[in-house]
Amino acid sequence: MGTDGDVMEGHLSMLREYLPILLFLGIATGLSAIMVIASLIVARQHPDSEKLSAYECGFEAFEDARHKFDVRFYLVAILFIIFDLEVAFLFPWAVTLGEIGLFGFWSMVVFLGVLTIGFAYEWRKGALEWE
Amino acid sequence: MGENGFNFMPAWPELFLAVGGMLLLMIGVFRGPKGREAAATWSPAHAINARSVTWLAIGLLVITAFIVSGQPIERSVIFAGMFVSDAFSIFAKLLILLGSALTLILAIDYNEREQMARFEYAVLILFATVGMMAMVSANDLISLYLGLELQSLSLYVVAAFRRDSLQSTEAGLKYFVLGALSSGMLLYGASLVYGFAGTTSFPGLAAIVADQAAEAPLGLIFGLVFVSAGLAFKVAAAPFHMWTPDVYEGSPTPVTAFFSVAPKIAATALFVRVMIEPFGALGDQWWQIIWVISILSMGLGAFAAINQTNIKRLMAYSSIGHIGYALVGLVSGDETGVRGVLTYVAIYLFMNVATFAVILCMRRQGKSVERIDDLSGLATTQPLLAAALAICMFSMSGIPPLAGFFGKLYVFLPAIAAGYYGLAVIGVLTSVVSAFYYLRVVKIMYFDEPAPAFDQPIGTAMCIVLAGTSLFTLLFFVYPAPLLGAAAVAAAALFAG
Amino acid sequence: MYSLAVLMPLIGASIAGLLLAFAPKGHGRDLAAQLATCICMGLSALLAIVIFHQVAILGQSRTVELFPFITSGAMQASWAFKYDTLSAVMVFVVTVCSTAIHVYSIGYMHDDPGVPRFMAYLSLFTFCMLMLVTADNFIQMFFGWEGVGVCSYLLIGFWYDRPSANAAAIKAFIVNRVGDFGFALGIFGVFAMFGSVVFDDVFAAVPTFVGTKLAFLSWEFDTLTLLCLLLFVGAMGKSAQVPLHTWLPDAMEGPTPVSALIHAATMVTAGVFMVARLSPMFEYAPDALAVVCIVGASTAIFAASVGLVQNDIKRVIAYSTCSQLGYMFFACGVSAYAAAIFHLMTHAFFKALLFLSSGSVIHAMSGEQDMRKMGGLAPYIPITLAMMWIGSLALAGLPFFAGYYSKDIILEAAFGAHSAVGQYAFWLGIVAAFMTAFYSWRLLFMTFYGEPRGDKKVMAHVHESPWIMLVPLFVLAVGAIFAGWIGYESFVGSRMNEFWRESILVLPAHNSIEAAHHVPFWVKILPIIVGLVGIGLAYGLYIRDPERPRRIAQNAQGLYRFLLNKWYFDELYDAIFVRPSFTLGFGFWKKGDEATIDGLGPDNIAANTLRLARRASALQTGYVYHYAFAMLIGVVTLVTWYMLVRG
Repeated sequence: MGTDGDVMEGHLSMLREYLPILLFLGIATGLSAIMVIASLIVARQHPDSEKLSAYECGFEAFEDARHKFDVRFYLVAILFIIFDLEVAFLFPWAVTLGEIGLFGFWSMVVFLGVLTIGFAYEWRKGALEWE
Repeated sequence: MGENGFNFMPAWPELFLAVGGMLLLMIGVFRGPKGREAAATWSPAHAINARSVTWLAIGLLVITAFIVSGQPIERSVIFAGMFVSDAFSIFAKLLILLGSALTLILAIDYNEREQMARFEYAVLILFATVGMMAMVSANDLISLYLGLELQSLSLYVVAAFRRDSLQSTEAGLKYFVLGALSSGMLLYGASLVYGFAGTTSFPGLAAIVADQAAEAPLGLIFGLVFVSAGLAFKVAAAPFHMWTPDVYEGSPTPVTAFFSVAPKIAATALFVRVMIEPFGALGDQWWQIIWVISILSMGLGAFAAINQTNIKRLMAYSSIGHIGYALVGLVSGDETGVRGVLTYVAIYLFMNVATFAVILCMRRQGKSVERIDDLSGLATTQPLLAAALAICMFSMSGIPPLAGFFGKLYVFLPAIAAGYYGLAVIGVLTSVVSAFYYLRVVKIMYFDEPAPAFDQPIGTAMCIVLAGTSLFTLLFFVYPAPLLGAAAVAAAALFAG
Repeated sequence: MYSLAVLMPLIGASIAGLLLAFAPKGHGRDLAAQLATCICMGLSALLAIVIFHQVAILGQSRTVELFPFITSGAMQASWAFKYDTLSAVMVFVVTVCSTAIHVYSIGYMHDDPGVPRFMAYLSLFTFCMLMLVTADNFIQMFFGWEGVGVCSYLLIGFWYDRPSANAAAIKAFIVNRVGDFGFALGIFGVFAMFGSVVFDDVFAAVPTFVGTKLAFLSWEFDTLTLLCLLLFVGAMGKSAQVPLHTWLPDAMEGPTPVSALIHAATMVTAGVFMVARLSPMFEYAPDALAVVCIVGASTAIFAASVGLVQNDIKRVIAYSTCSQLGYMFFACGVSAYAAAIFHLMTHAFFKALLFLSSGSVIHAMSGEQDMRKMGGLAPYIPITLAMMWIGSLALAGLPFFAGYYSKDIILEAAFGAHSAVGQYAFWLGIVAAFMTAFYSWRLLFMTFYGEPRGDKKVMAHVHESPWIMLVPLFVLAVGAIFAGWIGYESFVGSRMNEFWRESILVLPAHNSIEAAHHVPFWVKILPIIVGLVGIGLAYGLYIRDPERPRRIAQNAQGLYRFLLNKWYFDELYDAIFVRPSFTLGFGFWKKGDEATIDGLGPDNIAANTLRLARRASALQTGYVYHYAFAMLIGVVTLVTWYMLVRG
């Protein structure tokens, strides 16, 4: 029984480390719920055809989602994701740069270099030319 | 061990290949045709570019192979315990590099003929190879996943490499969707393992598992099941094989050739390492999984292939069956068993490359043909080609003294020694059944009315590959010691730590 | 020299065989084959005479070892030639008869297309026979034994385009298989009990096994009796003893020289030789000896009775052979091995003579073998007639011909044994002797005297045989006349101990030959009297009143048919063994093999494999969600399994 207790204790302590994430999830859910509900309550609702029509991408807002998309949207989306992730990666790196030192610095440079190679390839292939 | 993280030596081959791959990407893209128009349509300019890049890539692979073979066989762990280099990984890496290089050579002419030659093919293969090498060197569930995904992502793309072919894109899509599912399972399993063991590192897991081997938590075993399922998908073992026939048939033939060797060997090696190193102490549990998977694979590989008319699809089922046999060696979970697995995949590499080389030669009036009937009477029209394929078929069905027989011998012997008689008997029975369709190919080549001859010539590089691999298959029994010895050393490395 | 005597026929056979394979067809090839085989045989016969002199007369018995044949654990068998008096006698008889018959064959087979093949077979047969008689261990003996069996099969079926010849060859082979099975079992038994297959080792160990028991399943047998009986089964098969005799008359389908050499002079006597060779074993198994005696005596009377009514000239002689072999066996049965071998030798001469003479008759009659279609041939073929007379006189055992000495000593030994089986054998032997005389002269009278019954065309062509056929007859005739007279003292007379030395063992208690010299006078004279009576009866029936035999046959219809149909042995075997075997075989084939084994085995497995294959390929639907579902099922199954197992 003693060892079982220890194991449980170990699990609990590990789970305890996730507590901030749990809190974060709770706050995020709550906040977004408040925003949506607040806008429903506070703002005036005046739907008209202009407001409901396609915006920017050229898709109908309300219709069957199984639809052929222009492949260029994917390219843009993929590019966005890559650089989005890059930024998500850069933030913590920037914060802890003082602690991780030169090794950390060069690691990020290599990472950026790899990304740049990908970007150069994309560019050269003409993936960024819309027309 | 590199506490400061600056010891790159053990990972030098991967780094070299990765950097080389990126360089080739740049070379290819800056030397080749530029712009969207060029990307959309194929022109001979692509072929010229692709040819040079591919040969450079082959050169890179060869150099990497030299670097790998120069690595010390002592076990060394770097990157904070993420990456390990030992005899086992060196053996597997050499096979992977060999498989990649050989199938790249096979691809050159074919891709040009089919007007799908683009330099990205070689680069993708290089990246996949880097991923595979990372896989077999993984020492942590995280780095395992990293390598696996690097490999898989590249493979999804090459499966659909022939963009204008419906079959090829379908194959790519199927592979991608199912691959994502299997990755999900693997990740889920890994998280279960982490949840119940508190670590993802292999040595850490090994210690914990050894601690509570007698009554490992059910969750850990569930995690193991999911991880195994993910890995079984990668090696294409039943019942996680479903993608294999469609992808093998749909993908361009050089891709199929590549799929059937390098990733298979990498995944098998990874499978072995995961089962033996972190979960070795759970052998009493996981042998049942492997046992079931192995029997299902052997059975399916034997039976489902009988009705096939497309030779690539036939080879897909054949590869499922072969994985079943290889896994027989893993069931016993001891050193001789692992040696058997490694020997098996090594021999399988040669047999398969030779077979696909012949399949790549199957073309009439410039068009590739893939039906088994197209081979009829090959013995009269192209006797050497027919002889090479016959050697492969006999070898695959395990007829002595060809190499395939030894492969089977070295996996069945440990299984019998460990008392898995049922498994061995089923293995022998299914290999009898599979002999039917292998020998049918021989019969069609040698005894049926000759069909029109295939186009000649087949190309010097192709000739060399075909001759080399089929001669290896034929003459392996003359001097098997180097391969067996190397496999033994590699297997021992897995049990030393 | 000792090896060469045995190997010469093999060389001859090889030359003939090579000629057959490589030389162009034609008369030259035939001649070359005939010359080669005859010269080799002749040399062999000369050597055999020298060997006989050295070994039997001067007493220099020896064993010439060539090289090891089988070495496997305790099993040691060599190719070796064991020469003692017994084998020297056999080698002498075999080579001399064989040489005569080789020469005779040149004439007899002159217009046959398969001359080289025939000569090769004959020589090969002789080689095997010599291997058999000179064996110094059971394995080599078995080699020779099977070798002569094969040659016999090949020669009976020599005219393979005749269905009857093929049937006869197969019959001979199969019936011999029964005997050989017993022989093989006997050899296994000998090896199992004695741990050796070399004669000298076995014989030395025999006395220690007297009275021991051998357990088989729940039965217990006396070791030696069982082994001897098993070996004797082999002898019965080879020497055509009841009930394994049925092949011998049918074997007459082969060419006449074959009948003379194999089915009269040599091969069929192998069984007798074997019993004599194994006398050190049989002597210690009195029960087995009694069986040998009874079987021999029964065969003697049975075959003689059948011989009375046969109409085919060769079949009469064949049954006579069978009957004479019976004499030899019951001689062995009363421990008169020497008498058996003596009779074996004389019989070889006079029976070969009879066969060759009948061959000469058949030759003269353009292939006709039915005696009812002969008659009145005496003026046309006087030399053959004379030869036939000599042979018949010897066979009937009339004084001073060979058979007289050997047959009488057998009968006297049987009487002198003073045992129940001995008496049984003696009286049956006397009756058989009467019958022998009767059918011999019936043959003579029907063939050579009386009205010619053949059709005109055949009779017009009747001619004496060429000299190449007659000379061998003379040689054999000399043997038939003088062999008994010359050999009597050495073989069974006062000098017999110095002659046989170690080669035959007779326990003092069984010394029937010694007793044979002291039987009452009526016993000595009785065989001659019954022989004369038999001749007289034949004369009365076939010369004086040729119609009477038919009337007798009609009056005693049942008995006649019984004898004519050979005691219905063939019909009996047909009903007991052949037809049930056919039924069984057919049943096994249709029901067992095709329906059960093929049906459940290969065919069924193949069909199920195909069905499985279709199912397995049908699994591959092409839908991704099916595939994903399959994977999930796999995982769920495994997980469930572990949950259940782990509780």
